[in-house]
Amino acid sequence: MQEFFQQVVSGIAIGGIFASLALALVLIYNAMGLVNFAQGEMAMFATFVAYALINRGMSYWIAFPITLVLAFGGGILIQRLVIKPVERAPVLTLVIITLGLATLVNGFAGFIFGYVPRSFPSPFSADSADLFGVFISYRDMGVIAVSGLVLLGVYLLLQRTTVGLTMRAAAHHPEASRLLGVQVSWMLALGWGLASAVGAVSGIMVAPILLLEPNMMQSIIIYAFAAAVLGGIESPLGAVIGGLIVGVTVNLAGAYLPGVGGDLQLAVGLAIIIAVLIARPNGLFGRAAIRRV
Amino acid sequence: MMPRLRNAPPRYWLVVIAVVFFLGFPTVISSFQSSLWAQALILAIAVMGLNILVGYSGQLSLGHGAFMALGAYTSAILAHRYKMDYLLTIPIATLFTGLVGFLFGFPALRLSPLYLALATFALAVVTPSLIKRPEGLTGGVQGIILIQPDPPPFASDLFAAVTGTAMTSDQWIYYISLFCALLLFWVAWNLVRHRPGRAMRALRDGEVAAAAYGVNIAGFKTLAFGISAFYAGIAGSLFGLATGFVSPDTFPVSLSIQLLVGAVVGGLASIPGPLLGAIFAYFLPIEANQWVPSQSWIPDQVASTVKNAGPAVSYGVLLILIMIFAPNGIVGLIRAGYDWLYRRLRGATDRETGQLPPDPQTV
Amino acid sequence: MPNLLELKEVHAGYGPRSVLHGVSLSVPEGGIVSLLGANGAGKTTTLRAITAGVRWSGDIIFGGRSLRRLATEEIVRAGIAHVPEGRGICTELTVDENLKLGSHLRRDGAEVRKDYDRVFEYFPVLKERRKLSASTLSGGEQQMLALARALLMKPKLMLLDEPSLGLAPLVVRAIFQIVKSINQASRVAVLLVEQNARIALELSSSAYVLEVGRVAVSGASADLKDNESVRRSYLGY
Repeated sequence: MQEFFQQVVSGIAIGGIFASLALALVLIYNAMGLVNFAQGEMAMFATFVAYALINRGMSYWIAFPITLVLAFGGGILIQRLVIKPVERAPVLTLVIITLGLATLVNGFAGFIFGYVPRSFPSPFSADSADLFGVFISYRDMGVIAVSGLVLLGVYLLLQRTTVGLTMRAAAHHPEASRLLGVQVSWMLALGWGLASAVGAVSGIMVAPILLLEPNMMQSIIIYAFAAAVLGGIESPLGAVIGGLIVGVTVNLAGAYLPGVGGDLQLAVGLAIIIAVLIARPNGLFGRAAIRRV
Repeated sequence: MMPRLRNAPPRYWLVVIAVVFFLGFPTVISSFQSSLWAQALILAIAVMGLNILVGYSGQLSLGHGAFMALGAYTSAILAHRYKMDYLLTIPIATLFTGLVGFLFGFPALRLSPLYLALATFALAVVTPSLIKRPEGLTGGVQGIILIQPDPPPFASDLFAAVTGTAMTSDQWIYYISLFCALLLFWVAWNLVRHRPGRAMRALRDGEVAAAAYGVNIAGFKTLAFGISAFYAGIAGSLFGLATGFVSPDTFPVSLSIQLLVGAVVGGLASIPGPLLGAIFAYFLPIEANQWVPSQSWIPDQVASTVKNAGPAVSYGVLLILIMIFAPNGIVGLIRAGYDWLYRRLRGATDRETGQLPPDPQTV
Repeated sequence: MPNLLELKEVHAGYGPRSVLHGVSLSVPEGGIVSLLGANGAGKTTTLRAITAGVRWSGDIIFGGRSLRRLATEEIVRAGIAHVPEGRGICTELTVDENLKLGSHLRRDGAEVRKDYDRVFEYFPVLKERRKLSASTLSGGEQQMLALARALLMKPKLMLLDEPSLGLAPLVVRAIFQIVKSINQASRVAVLLVEQNARIALELSSSAYVLEVGRVAVSGASADLKDNESVRRSYLGY
């Protein structure tokens, strides 16, 4: 039983990481009805930036916010350079472009940083604390705390600030927003910046667990897809809850399901995606899509 | 309709020239080069399959590498474990993959194209680890080594009569691949010209409208997926034959990306597009990997990084640039160039009747 | 009275299809002007041209400044509130959030609070439903929300596109009454597009009648209302 709870807690920790990346996907989906296949690679690249900063002797807690700011700027830059020229193109065109972006960023990271896996520091001690008989590592607690803070921050930004309000309006009602003086195109860019920064958090949190290399996020993005689809791809809250469910499920499946083990955990992610899409395509918190003729 | 017909390039002659070229090509290049070209032709078959799905029915699959893997492993397992003649396994593997694709198409038909892209991408990422698991069947990480067939006497004699040397199995496999490619391109051409093709195009251009015109949406979406998997299956099966080896790493995500690059670069919703696109996508990394280390001014360390990162960077840049600037790919550019030249040669007299080209957005 | 808005020979259309063929009209400061005409005459397109929702040529001058090459956002920031066809309510957001979008560009906090009080005085129902999703409002309530939101933008000019569409006659009366009070209280000029010519002419001081993209008749509202032949041939009542 004790081991079970430990598995659940580390599932929540890894789920928080999935949730951050899933939230990034949802932000862009809401802004332009698009799944950004490059989200994971952008996060990986930001993690390399953090690595480079820390390697130059910068302290972790200074490098972390600087990386987020750089990721934010990078997201805006990508939106302006690559996405804006095709803003009105059909969604499949945009998907192919984000896939090209994913491939490009992946190759670019390999070009600059190479393919040798590197260990990435964690600011949290590897020790465990005894909470009512369940041993919980400080790392798991730290990851849960950081993810929680980020998700709370995004929630407050979107729900409680004017910028957040105009971002939501621009995403859902671009034409009406323009008539209210909202600079829709820049709001979309801001959405990309925000998504990029939130995604970067997931990269930085997962790097100490996985080792940093250009293909690091390839499996994480699948779990994030699963989380976003499970939560209902347009619901930020759904992404968070979906992330936690996927994290715990994958962790428990790896530990207890015979035949799954470490190497087929990813297949569990795929199974979740397919099961949700077949049984409940709108996810737990999504609304049924209305087709316009 | 009439001006377009008059503007059309002399297609039949192009087809004849292409067939003669590909038939004669192995007589002038090395056996090893033939093997590479065989693989390019095989890739072209898979890209054609993807093109039927994306270009003609507006659904995006990012997991066609997984269907290739299915075709390849079906053949490899039948040939290796059950000692079947490899050539006989090809139709079995193809039909099996097509059937699986058809079944996969059932849930897929309920999904928006975006979700389908997402699910198939996940499938492509998971495929290598799914293959590794049943070790007894698939050989796990080691994969399965295949015996390449010797050319039959009639082919060998014919080849010897032309070139003076005996035919190698690589060259024989080239001709098998060419035969399959020609057959499947002909099938695709017939498909898009007739009723299923029109229905699928109607589907791509507007699902609700297509339904209003009486197109059986579910049926055709599933059919398109099945046909497209059928193409990927035969390509996978041939690919195992051509490389003489299948392993989980033969079918990484990047293979699915390579197929998409081939489809996009060549030109979606066109018949010659997949051929041109596949040749391009196949030879780009190979040529680049030969060229870069041969340049003395590029330091060795940079050269080795380029070797690893080069394909991803160039594929990524290509996907982005082509989707932004030339959504109809090479074929679109050739057509635009031809139209421009035609109008130039015809002069101003024809300008009145010259129609604008159709909207370049095809997906 | 000086003109706040002036359209000079405006041509506009969608792609190759041209809809306006040289429309000239003007709205005086603080005035109410009706733009009437049958379906497809180009009334909505005229409004959309003013806020850069459609390509146009000719000239549009607002407050002495040409609107040529300005983006929608810039035109709106210059002081034009456009309540579009279908009201442009953000149904994903709450009533309160919709109102906040109206005032989000303003920096005069105290004035904004006063305007909110005024808005809730005009439309008490909105105050009751502040926390609810705008999608739960009825058609009339949504029209009220759109008007309230436009008012909170503190515009110099309001463009209203068929505020009566789909509403019960009593609701229409009430809404037009409020438009009049808003116009009188804060000297906001109004350019009103309407199918319901009778009620529009009662409200406005002058009017233009469009016919297939051209101004067919114009003049003081009272004159048009009393002119039997204009009424018969253009206004249909």
